[in-house]
Amino acid sequence: MIHALLVDDDLDLRQLVSDYLQRYGMRVTAVADAASLRRVLRVGLTGPDPFKVLLLDLMLPDGNGLDLLRWVREIAPLPVIMLTAQGDPASRVVGLELGADDYLPKPFEPRELVARIHAVLRRAGAAPVAAPTATVLQFAGWTFDRLRRQLTSPQQVVVALSSAEFRLLSAFVDHPNRVLSRDQLLDLTRAPGADVTDRSIDLTVSRLRQKLDAPNLIRTVRGEGYLFDPNDGGARA
Amino acid sequence: MQRLRQLFSDTLFKRLMLLMWVALVASHFLSFAAVRSLADGLGDAPPMRRPAPGPDGVGVPPLASLPPGLLPDGAGRREPPPGMAGPGGRPPRDRQPGGSPPMRSLWLDYLVRFLVIGGAAWWGAQWLSQPMRRLADASRSLGAAIAQRRPAPTLDEHEGTREVRQAAQVFNAMAQRLHEQFDAQGLLMAAISHDLRTPLARLRLRLETMAPGPQTERGIADLQEMDALIGSVLSMVRDRHAPQAQQRVDLRALLQAQVDDRVEQGLPVRIADDSAGEAVVLAQPEALGRILGNLIGNALRHAGSAELSLLGQTGKLELRIDDHGPGIPQEQLETVFRPFYRVNSGVDGRGSSTSGGSGLGLYIARDLAEQVGGELTLSNRPEGGLRARLVLPRA
Repeated sequence: MIHALLVDDDLDLRQLVSDYLQRYGMRVTAVADAASLRRVLRVGLTGPDPFKVLLLDLMLPDGNGLDLLRWVREIAPLPVIMLTAQGDPASRVVGLELGADDYLPKPFEPRELVARIHAVLRRAGAAPVAAPTATVLQFAGWTFDRLRRQLTSPQQVVVALSSAEFRLLSAFVDHPNRVLSRDQLLDLTRAPGADVTDRSIDLTVSRLRQKLDAPNLIRTVRGEGYLFDPNDGGARA
Repeated sequence: MQRLRQLFSDTLFKRLMLLMWVALVASHFLSFAAVRSLADGLGDAPPMRRPAPGPDGVGVPPLASLPPGLLPDGAGRREPPPGMAGPGGRPPRDRQPGGSPPMRSLWLDYLVRFLVIGGAAWWGAQWLSQPMRRLADASRSLGAAIAQRRPAPTLDEHEGTREVRQAAQVFNAMAQRLHEQFDAQGLLMAAISHDLRTPLARLRLRLETMAPGPQTERGIADLQEMDALIGSVLSMVRDRHAPQAQQRVDLRALLQAQVDDRVEQGLPVRIADDSAGEAVVLAQPEALGRILGNLIGNALRHAGSAELSLLGQTGKLELRIDDHGPGIPQEQLETVFRPFYRVNSGVDGRGSSTSGGSGLGLYIARDLAEQVGGELTLSNRPEGGLRARLVLPRA
């Protein structure tokens, strides 16, 4: 049984989300404001049925959701999914930077919420104390901002990435200097609604190489897969 | 006192009148003086007094044809001026040896008048038109300032002629009001859009409690359409009120990324032509992405497919988004850029509610294009279909 803590100032919405999640075998404790959250969270983290996930509205009557998020991050290793009506890329970036695990704009697809809850729990279970991956990475003169999904060249030119290229580059920078087979890359870059195949992986790799303009950054290891070598990218003449 | 101030106030009318007056009088006297000094030789010229028309305009305004000798200042001398002496007439002082002094005097007279009047007219035209030019410049930059979310330009209300000062006051008040209106509109839109999303979220969850069926499906689709509209309004307001910093952006990579994303979703979008060479522009990356997204989305919605081309011109880049749809009636090519405007083309109903789209796509796209110094136009292709052209300056 997954025990979720929901913070939202809208009474009807609290009720509706609780009812909906119950259908998927979750138990929901719902509170209306930041003060209640602080009170409930202190006692609810221990005990026989601790909270497993926090669903946090960013706009609360008695407090800034972002401050609250920072506070939660300090006291508990609880996965947080932000729910917000703001839906604005900047608040998404700020929220994720402050350590929220996921971000879902209102109005959300109910099933999407269930999927995200399972996803953050899976991630939390897989790497309980993993250091958060850096959001801005640098290699061979390039800057890769994962939250803003932006790649900047050594000449300070913004080079846009498609979703597939973004997922692939993310997988590569997470596993530098390691040979990744096509199967592994398929796993790492799977996304809802996208049809990822061996062929599309090869195509995306060649696109990425073209955009990065550095053939040695992503090397083909014959018969095995691809290797991302962030230190060798500048080796080309 | 008030009347006196009014009398001496700086107006365009008085500037023009004074200018012509001084120019003509000066040209007469200078040419007269020049001819006299030529005729008399050194040391023989009479002392010249320059007339100084006071603010109240002493004396009779000189006419161009009036000989300087008849002016009040030169009242003592009644001799005919050299300029008026015909070639056959007796020159006033014919003591110079050699040459043809009368002819020389005449030409000198004309030359000096020509130069003095020309110079005065040139300088005066500048003097008179400068305030107008400042006003025109400010008006021009007002549009750009509003488009690029910069503070509106202001004019100096205490300088220049009365007409200009009045125009400056009116202009400043207008710019200020435009600016305020713009802010209020933005806040209102953001508040409305934001407060709509919570009820939409409730509605979406309520639909989930109903029996699944075609009606529920349609309800969900309606809801998503509303959310998309709110999203585009919010992003428009955001772009206007908190514009991103401009960066150098690789337009080709952006184009490729947008096309690849569509292709991944199985949509028929392709790059038809790319001959632009290096394609870097200075823009807000997100804004540029939204322009492209809106234009490609439009083509997909109305024609089912899109073909993109990237062409290079000197100093500019041209991006074309072509489709094979029904196009837009010629007379509506410009009006479709209005917010919420829907094309009425009979059966097809381009942009009707069934084909989706918020009615804001083109409006936002053009707005953003202007923000990044670009130009967005639509045209019907001779071979059929619509062409959207986005022209951007190279970085």
